[in-house]
Amino acid sequence: MATYFGLDKFVKLFRILRNHGGIRASLYQLYRVDDLKDGVLVGEDVHGNKYYENPNLTLGRNRWVIYSPSVGTDYDGSMIPAEWFGWMHHKTDLPPTEIAPTAYAWQSGHEENTTGTDRAFMPYTTTKPKIEAWVPPKKL
Amino acid sequence: MAAVWGSVGQKVLSSAFSLGSKGLLKHGGSSYFINQHRGAAKWWPDAEWMKQFDGPTMVPYEGQNMEMTTWNSRLAHVEKKVRNVTINFGPQHPAAHGVLRLVLELEGETVVRADPHIGLLHRGTEKLIEYKTYTQALPYFDRLDYVSMMCNEQAYSLAVEKLLGVEAPIRAKYIRTMFGEVTRILNHCMFLGAHAMDVGALTPFLWLFEEREKMMEFYERASGARLHAAYVRPGGVAIDIPIGLMDDIYEFSSKFGERLDEVEDVLTHNRIWKQRTIDIGTVTAQEALNYGFSGVMLRGSGIKWDLRKTQPYDAYDLVDFDVPVGKNGDTYDRYLIRVYEMRESLRIIEQCLNQMPEGEVRVDDAKVTPPRRSEMKTSMEALIHHFKVFTQGYQVPPGATYTAIEAPKGEFGVYLVSDGSSKPYRCKIKAPGFAHLAGTDMVGKNHMLADIVAIIGTLDIVFGEVDR
Amino acid sequence: MAAVRLFSLGRNGVPMLRSCVGSASMTQTRSNYKYVSPEEPSMEWGDISDRAAATVFWTEMFRGAAVTLGHIFKEPATINYPFEKGPLSPRFRGEHALRRYPSGEERCIACKLCEAICPAQAITIEAEEREDGARRTTRYDIDMTKCIYCGFCQEACPVDAIVEGPNFEYSTETHEELLYNKEKLLSNGDKWEPEIAANLQADHLYR
Repeated sequence: MATYFGLDKFVKLFRILRNHGGIRASLYQLYRVDDLKDGVLVGEDVHGNKYYENPNLTLGRNRWVIYSPSVGTDYDGSMIPAEWFGWMHHKTDLPPTEIAPTAYAWQSGHEENTTGTDRAFMPYTTTKPKIEAWVPPKKL
Repeated sequence: MAAVWGSVGQKVLSSAFSLGSKGLLKHGGSSYFINQHRGAAKWWPDAEWMKQFDGPTMVPYEGQNMEMTTWNSRLAHVEKKVRNVTINFGPQHPAAHGVLRLVLELEGETVVRADPHIGLLHRGTEKLIEYKTYTQALPYFDRLDYVSMMCNEQAYSLAVEKLLGVEAPIRAKYIRTMFGEVTRILNHCMFLGAHAMDVGALTPFLWLFEEREKMMEFYERASGARLHAAYVRPGGVAIDIPIGLMDDIYEFSSKFGERLDEVEDVLTHNRIWKQRTIDIGTVTAQEALNYGFSGVMLRGSGIKWDLRKTQPYDAYDLVDFDVPVGKNGDTYDRYLIRVYEMRESLRIIEQCLNQMPEGEVRVDDAKVTPPRRSEMKTSMEALIHHFKVFTQGYQVPPGATYTAIEAPKGEFGVYLVSDGSSKPYRCKIKAPGFAHLAGTDMVGKNHMLADIVAIIGTLDIVFGEVDR
Repeated sequence: MAAVRLFSLGRNGVPMLRSCVGSASMTQTRSNYKYVSPEEPSMEWGDISDRAAATVFWTEMFRGAAVTLGHIFKEPATINYPFEKGPLSPRFRGEHALRRYPSGEERCIACKLCEAICPAQAITIEAEEREDGARRTTRYDIDMTKCIYCGFCQEACPVDAIVEGPNFEYSTETHEELLYNKEKLLSNGDKWEPEIAANLQADHLYR
């Protein structure tokens, strides 16, 4: 009966509002993400990005990430680390919480795209110079 | 003389005016100023007008020149030089489909001459290919007609295979055919969306680009790139299609017809669409042949010619399909043909999916195709072959071939001359768009300016292949 | 209820009929060329009045508008990037990376196959003997602005050292940031190893 009159939509709305932490937090979420969705928290990575899933939605919209609150509205698509990349891009259904990714000692942590910052990569040569400057001999 | 008469006339008129203002209306003067007809266009007798009273009159005044002017003494008007307006259509025009610069000579709004200027996307592909090995030349073909990538690769691969005397395995042939038809739909989606948008219908563009997105995902899953696939190689395809891709292509092909129905609901019987396309850009069969048109431009004029039927390549002789042919040769017919071709492509895709054989996807010739990676890592001989293939490439026996396929836009041909080395001696690319663009003047003459946009749309020009 | 049944029969009946006709027509010899031009309009009074009615009442316009309107109620096709991402496959050819062996030793042995096959000549390699006698590169530069992402380098690499990784979000503000050197490529490999390894694992049966 409630479904017939569409009352379940209101129930859903209130649930979404509650899950997002009240009206104020929901409005902030709407401002930051442009979307309020009902989903299950799948995991959280080391940077504090949270990954959600709702299999009822269509492919492409069923998995999403809420970037760490610390970045505010300064989020970027490259902030997703390699472990979560495959899950996020629908490559695999197994998040790194279920199947452990490779973890070698030499692996470095993820870093977002640093262009425009002072940490941006600038090319430099990795070889010795082919030409050595002639140093005039000192007079004895 | 004229000055005298002018002063007389003015005196007469001013007296009449003052008479009117004083005698008939008390405050005529003020009503003249508050009158909303401000007299901005009021005509006063001027010197030129008075000139007609030169010469003898009925009541001559004193000293008037009574000499008759001769009948032919008037000078003829000086002929002004009138030139038609010439405008540049493009290369920045959004309806110019890339970097087309069309110099249009207009008479009013009618086009009397259309002069396409090309070369803004010239990259020297043909010359570059002469300095690349046969393997390295392949990615250049993706970038020719960049909305039907795999068809170009297919043409090149077939040409190289013909020179080498090898034949791709049957599974590779089916994969090529299937992706060739996916490409055809990809291209026609782009054509239809852009064409409809040029004419004024924005909605189909958005719907069809959603479908294009799905097909580019198939490309990505098979080859790793959404557009420039480098997937079809001489001697087969680069790598076998992944498990599950065929299911998804089937899923897509079973639903795409419905999307096409929606587009047709919006366009086919729509009166605006019909008014904008019927009898626009009509090409007779003779003109189409004389101008070297191919593909839909030829079939639209009623010529039954399709290379997939007349000289089947790959697996086209193993599948059953119809070729749509038009009658009137106008833009509307070509639209209908392309929509029907998409439906036939769905049929071919479905048959390819059903008939897809098992087996290898690369020809079993270690000199031409690199070995499998597991083999390369365990066998010394395979490793040597691997190095040989990727450094020197493979030698192609001397000879020349012209191999053409039915690309979505028409006959895409590759004329390949080999001198026996591992690099092509000459590679001439026959792009269908080039001949179609050359026909712009013939097709677009005496049309309205707005119809030129529809004609460029229906020619289905992509500048990657025109400029090469 | 009966009407519903009739309706469903009508809907299912047509393809059934069509498939019968299709299988029968398969046996016929066909020219395989099909005229798709609109037929000449029939000049029967009934048809003329039908056409007039369609013109007057804008039926085809309303039909198109209704189809367009119907799309409002459908799920949108767009995704909310960067919060949602489109699907990618393990074969995706994105940003390059140089990989290492599990021990931490770099894989690249400077065989220069990638440099040889690169159609855009985007790769520059210089090699020298290392202190321990191993042949390694001293310079491995990729001009990412020259690269055409054909994937030939990763196909050519006999030791799976150079790969085109999954990352595509590396756009930069300046040109020189895209002139990658060996350190940058190795650090890419260190960063993306979990995903690269997963991709190679997913694709190993085909390669």
